[in-house]
Amino acid sequence: MADQGTGRSAAWEPMAAEGLREPREQAVSVEGLRLKYPGEERLTFKDVSFKAAPGEKVLLLGPSGCGKSTLLQVLSGMIPKATEVPMKCENRQLPRSWAYVFQDPDTQFCMPYVDEELAFVLENLAVPRDEMKARMREALDAVGLHLKELHMPISHLSQGMKQRLALASALLLEPEVLFLDEPSALLDPEGRRQIWEAVKRVSAGRTLIIVEHRIEEMADYVDRIVLFGPDGVILGEGPPKEVFARYESELKSYGIWYPGVWEDYAASRAGQQWFPRIASSSAAGSLSSLEPVVASSGEGRGRPDQENEVVNPNASVNANRCSREPQITLQSFAGQRRSQPVIALDHAEVFPGDYVAILGPNGAGKSSLLLSLMGLLPSEGTYILGGEHVVKGKRKKLRKRREQQLRQIGFVFQNPELQFVTERVGDEVAYSLLVDGMPASEAEEASRSILERFGLHGLEGRHPYQLSTGQKRRLSVATAMARQPSVLLLDEPTFGQDARNTFAILEMCEQLRRSGTAILMVTHELQIAEMAATHIWEIREGRVVSQKVSPRLHAAESDMALAEVSS
Amino acid sequence: MGVPVKENLELQSRKGLRVSDILVTVLVSLVFGIVYHFWGSVYSLLKPFQADELLYGMWFAAATLAFLLIRKPGVAIIAELAAAHVEVLFGSGWGLTLLMYGLIQGLGAELVFAAFRYRNYSVWVAAAAGAVAALGSMVLDFYYSYTDDLESWLFIAKYGMRILSGAVIAGLLMVLLAKALERTGVTALLRPASSKDYEALDDPRHG
Amino acid sequence: MSFWGPVRHTWLHRTNPVVKLGVICLLFFMTVLTHDLDVIIYQAMIFTVCLLLLSGIQPWKMLLFLIPFMMAFLASASSMMLFGKGDTIWWQWGLFKISEESFYRGLHLGFKGIAFAAEGLLLVTTTQSVDLFYALMQKLKLRPKYAYSFMASIRLLPMVWEEFLIRRQALKVRGVQPARGPRRLVVRAGLYVVPLLAQSIRRAHRVAAAMEAKQFDGDRSQARTYYYPSQYSRYDVLTVGLLAAAVCCAYAGASYYPWFGIGDVRFN
Repeated sequence: MADQGTGRSAAWEPMAAEGLREPREQAVSVEGLRLKYPGEERLTFKDVSFKAAPGEKVLLLGPSGCGKSTLLQVLSGMIPKATEVPMKCENRQLPRSWAYVFQDPDTQFCMPYVDEELAFVLENLAVPRDEMKARMREALDAVGLHLKELHMPISHLSQGMKQRLALASALLLEPEVLFLDEPSALLDPEGRRQIWEAVKRVSAGRTLIIVEHRIEEMADYVDRIVLFGPDGVILGEGPPKEVFARYESELKSYGIWYPGVWEDYAASRAGQQWFPRIASSSAAGSLSSLEPVVASSGEGRGRPDQENEVVNPNASVNANRCSREPQITLQSFAGQRRSQPVIALDHAEVFPGDYVAILGPNGAGKSSLLLSLMGLLPSEGTYILGGEHVVKGKRKKLRKRREQQLRQIGFVFQNPELQFVTERVGDEVAYSLLVDGMPASEAEEASRSILERFGLHGLEGRHPYQLSTGQKRRLSVATAMARQPSVLLLDEPTFGQDARNTFAILEMCEQLRRSGTAILMVTHELQIAEMAATHIWEIREGRVVSQKVSPRLHAAESDMALAEVSS
Repeated sequence: MGVPVKENLELQSRKGLRVSDILVTVLVSLVFGIVYHFWGSVYSLLKPFQADELLYGMWFAAATLAFLLIRKPGVAIIAELAAAHVEVLFGSGWGLTLLMYGLIQGLGAELVFAAFRYRNYSVWVAAAAGAVAALGSMVLDFYYSYTDDLESWLFIAKYGMRILSGAVIAGLLMVLLAKALERTGVTALLRPASSKDYEALDDPRHG
Repeated sequence: MSFWGPVRHTWLHRTNPVVKLGVICLLFFMTVLTHDLDVIIYQAMIFTVCLLLLSGIQPWKMLLFLIPFMMAFLASASSMMLFGKGDTIWWQWGLFKISEESFYRGLHLGFKGIAFAAEGLLLVTTTQSVDLFYALMQKLKLRPKYAYSFMASIRLLPMVWEEFLIRRQALKVRGVQPARGPRRLVVRAGLYVVPLLAQSIRRAHRVAAAMEAKQFDGDRSQARTYYYPSQYSRYDVLTVGLLAAAVCCAYAGASYYPWFGIGDVRFN
């Protein structure tokens, strides 16, 4: 215990303690780093060196799981001081002072209130009590978080505000080096914009070391990009422009959200295959995108030679709209929580082969809409599913009947882990089929082919929790799709995913849509809505305020089949 | 100016409770505390028939589970105190008695783990810990509710069931739960690295 | 917990939590060591009155006290009444047997349960967790790593609850059937507990890393200042005086106006 304590204080504020403040050549550096997680087969890093000059803004890019976040922890000294991971290095220079912002807005705070959380940092620094309030204000102002009352529950803040609070508490440490570990990965576009604005505002004179997949907002701000390969090797580095030019295909295959990734995907072979504009009148720039562009990503993603694919994607949408019955009809529909309506909708029809993107701010009622359609929240009004009125009532018999009716809907929750029910990837999909009464051997067979289709073959024996985040997400979608539901509801399925996984999930949905499933998907990304969806609903303050045809659909067709409804 | 390599290796011998150990212990136990709170309602209804004793082991489960996860001295006691704490917070009718019971039960489990030098994580040791925790609660019962004035057949049946329940629920079931958690891979976060892991850094096969 | 948030602040709210904890512990030991039926009845009554006067919560919430009180009473009293030793038998049915001794002893335990409940709630309803831990750190030198771990965990609890609700919905969506039989019940419990604990462990681990990144030195009590100072005040004296007076009243009541007058329920 004793050596642990001294070891820590010596290493945590190594230089500050000695009062050395002369300019240094490097703000932080490590040479010949070797690191291996216990139980992993290979080294995460093998003789890797990295350094950053004072004031430099460095962005680390690479595929998921290549060890970028681990490197941040090594550079800060968190490894091995706080988290024990076997490592060695020839030389390491820790920053004189540093601070950290992590990815998950919900796990960065230990206290319930804003002021208490900031006070926690100040207490650690032994700042006198009467100076605390002023310093809190200063830090909050710096990140643009103007709260009327400092004593405010952190749980009342939006995720984006929480991240800015995390940045504010980092500033209290007066860091020379600021480590940012995917601070915007779990934020909506608005939150992303704000956090990066705040970072830019406060980073003058500080060294910034950033790990992030979402780089649209700050790619032009950094001085240098360091690109890692899948096995923890540095592939190359340089100013952003240079790296983008030289490593375009790597950026694509690593799923990085670089500026222009949507346009590139739409123009790629996979993008053309899966998401052609059905007509071009309402979509800007779509004429050029009709020309086949081959030099793009999409290896292993676009599977154009799949046998169960509908050849003409236009056909399903158009035909379904005119001739068939709607899959879902809602009239004066309202979903409730604790007997209070939380989402209301005057009239809506969803046809087989429709792909509805549901947009709206946080807490507006997007998830509530899906939950009420799934029967997980009680609802009022008319709800017709597949031509049948969905039964209402609390009596056991009615409830059973309702559950039976709603079985034809598939549902994908936001956190995939919470919907896994078995301990093997292979059993997970089969479970869905067995519940529906498919014989075991058949289910096994079907499950295998589905896993294959979702790029999960070879992982059958794994525990679902041991998959990567992208694989988990694909598995959760696979379990819902396996039952071939006539309606599929998805709650932000691409949230926090890298570009590659996002496109993969969208393609899966599109494939299902073409076979006639109606899809309703909550999302924050306007690009998804415009590229993949056929219709866009907007929700504000518990109401569906508009239902529009997506730019993807033909404007003329929309006039004929669906008069725009708005309230 | 750099940090010598050697310094990193000194850290291998860290044994004390780290902040993350305590936080995991406390949070896991608080979750149990909530379960206890609702469990308590079911439990009270069974009380007049003494059937509750068969489920009594649930109250020691936090101690054994925390130890099976963290595998360090002290966590069993912290776990029981934390679980009791959340029940008190929820306004349980048992009040501070719970903290007292938590302390004694945690101590009972802790003693068993200590007897095996905190190195044995088998079902048998966990079951023994559950049983000894039950004995701890029995001692408090003497003071708290004059159980020595119960009819002797009942006394034996009551505590026999309780000890059995401690062994089964706090022992067997918690070992199963710990194994299930291990399969999810999250426990890897909690395990200290072994010297073998350090040696692997220099493994020529990686070179 | 915020649920017990007061609508008015009483002396007890202004008392230093450490003092409160100390006094309540003393009361608690006194109650444990009380073997006189009349004294315990008066204790239960007087502490309940104290609770109603001093908790400062909305009156309708006070009705909720009935639940822990009833539970404490029934659970404590029933087994002793039905199964206790005794010579003067009043009623017998199979294994159940109520004797005069066991009846009074059971009654005694029931009121003891109420007294414990009232004492515990006196502390819980008037003390915020954060205040308690700040006081424990400053006055009793509790190590910050324990105090902050508790406070951080309490902050994380609502997230666990939320996940529980989602898990329940998810199991419904996946078509998991209601469980029957003990074996199935255990499997079913595992379907809830494993994911929730796995998420909790991961989350706790991340919070711990974030705390250490904020230069929190959990091991040594580094020089630390405190945002909430913990000080003793005249309210501490008032509270001690008030509760001491309550105890005196209980003993006085028992000796001047006894209900049963049977003395020590152990009948030794």
